[in-house]
Amino acid sequence: MSQKPKSRGRPSSQVEREPDGGGREAPSTSRWPGGAASQRRAQASPAPGPRSQKQLELKVAELVQFLLIKDQKKIPIRRTDILRHVVGDYKDVLSELLRRAAERLEYVFGYRLVELEPRSNTYILVNTLEPVEEDAEVRGDQGTPTTGLLMIVLGLIFMKGNSIKETEVWDFLRRLGVHPAKKHLIFGDPKKLITEDFVRQRYLDYRRIPHTDPVDYELQWGPRTNLETSKMKVLKFVAKVHNQDPKDWPAQYCEALADEEARARPQPAGPSPATAPAPTAAPVS
Amino acid sequence: MEAAATSDTESDSSSDDLSWGEADIHPSLLERVDEEKCRSIRKQYRQLIYSVQQNRDDIVNTASDSLTEALEEANVLFDAVSRTREAALDAQFLVLASDLGKEKAKQLNSDMNFFNQVAFCDFLFIFVGLNWMEDDGRDPLNNCDDNIAFSFWETVQKEATSWMLQAETFHFLFGSFKPESAARKPRLDHRRKVQKMEENGDMPTKLRKLDLSGNQEATEKEVERILGLLQTYFRKYPDTPVSYFEFVIDPHSFSRTVENIFYVSFIIRDGFARIRLDQDRLPILEPININLAGEGNDPSFHSRKQGVISLSLQDWKNIVATFEISEAMITNSY
Repeated sequence: MSQKPKSRGRPSSQVEREPDGGGREAPSTSRWPGGAASQRRAQASPAPGPRSQKQLELKVAELVQFLLIKDQKKIPIRRTDILRHVVGDYKDVLSELLRRAAERLEYVFGYRLVELEPRSNTYILVNTLEPVEEDAEVRGDQGTPTTGLLMIVLGLIFMKGNSIKETEVWDFLRRLGVHPAKKHLIFGDPKKLITEDFVRQRYLDYRRIPHTDPVDYELQWGPRTNLETSKMKVLKFVAKVHNQDPKDWPAQYCEALADEEARARPQPAGPSPATAPAPTAAPVS
Repeated sequence: MEAAATSDTESDSSSDDLSWGEADIHPSLLERVDEEKCRSIRKQYRQLIYSVQQNRDDIVNTASDSLTEALEEANVLFDAVSRTREAALDAQFLVLASDLGKEKAKQLNSDMNFFNQVAFCDFLFIFVGLNWMEDDGRDPLNNCDDNIAFSFWETVQKEATSWMLQAETFHFLFGSFKPESAARKPRLDHRRKVQKMEENGDMPTKLRKLDLSGNQEATEKEVERILGLLQTYFRKYPDTPVSYFEFVIDPHSFSRTVENIFYVSFIIRDGFARIRLDQDRLPILEPININLAGEGNDPSFHSRKQGVISLSLQDWKNIVATFEISEAMITNSY
């Protein structure tokens, strides 16, 4: 008697089997008919396989913590970093993890996880809750008060037609005691803050103006600004400082109004992590 | 044919007019160059460019004619230009002038003119409440008291944040609870956790130490450490029980005292020490010699007794004073 081969499912030459091949007698752990060959293939490179809910939940929790901590510096979080530091082997379910993490962040913290720009593969956290007057008292000391400076610059940019020269910015800020080359009591190096930090955080865009001599740069709103505030809000800030009505600047008011309408319209391809493409669609139990 | 009066202005555009008779080149170009003159022209151009740059604000912002004047001056200079070197300077000036012209045109846009940044500055001061300082010079924030600067920017910050949807930065409230300092960045922690979970999930046979109870480990370590201290004491002073309070109380930290009581309770539970009341009805800790044979050793012999110790902040202070405890017997591990 010939020895029966150990691996089940392999049709023995002596035993008659159905033409559609093995795997009928013994329950095969591989999902596809084809028996041993695919089993061998599966063992050679361990497929991710079904992951338990518990493992997924743990991953989502790690991802949420990672996103929160990465957001401290307000620098957009790169997808590659997420893959490298948190997700690792789970990258086939990255979009699912991101979706759940985004849900978690919204329900628990009230933060929205948004893609900075379509297809940029970088993410930021945006607050969903409008700031309340009383919060300002409770917020306490959250480090350097840079938002005030930022808002002033944003206001300048918008009111001057969405673009302003760097020299103009300094002409203005000098009167507020902020100089590009002088150390500031609160802001330290204001030039670095405005032309580097705010740019890295994507609040501002800093571009060189060609054909200028001496070289000059122009500042515009960056993508993060449009996500965290709006033209109308900045206009209202400026108006409040002037103790006037936003409508007193008709051109800017119209522009802000148009911007509000554009926002109200449903986005064709909304910036959401769920739309991030997953490399493969492996079954997840 | 000569048209000498007008020919100078065309000295650089010789390609336009080729009708100069036999010679294809303009006669003035054939003249011997007066170096001194050219140098002077270049100097004037440079001065013009410099002065226009310096007065840029003035030229662009106000309804002044200075730009037109500068252009006219350049025009006059250009009449004398016959070499490329000077013409290049003229071109440079033109770029600057057209740039300024563009700026000026932008300013002239009557809608945008509504926003006056100088006024914005003043209104900021008023908004913050600094207007009372204005008679002290135009810029209250330059060369001012630190407090004024702080309060200005704080006020602006408060207003600004109410117009933005910034996510608050996330920080752990009191840092890590582990006794060892957590010097590792959180990202690396995730990676290590990832590896551990992977090993647990993938290959069951390769299961190494399962570190699911990190806190428990820390407690055990502390308990062992304190037991060591206790046993050292007993070895040094055999047959001398130690006053319970003197052992657990840390006169400098109430929370550490509570922790010590917690850890000592494990020691007692596990039978390494015994707590009882002495003749003064004060609790003392006694060693239990494990090597002692006999019924005294059998843990089940001692009927299970339970003690509850409650210690308030005031109690703790009273004990420290009464017992005159100056130093903790249980030293910190860090």
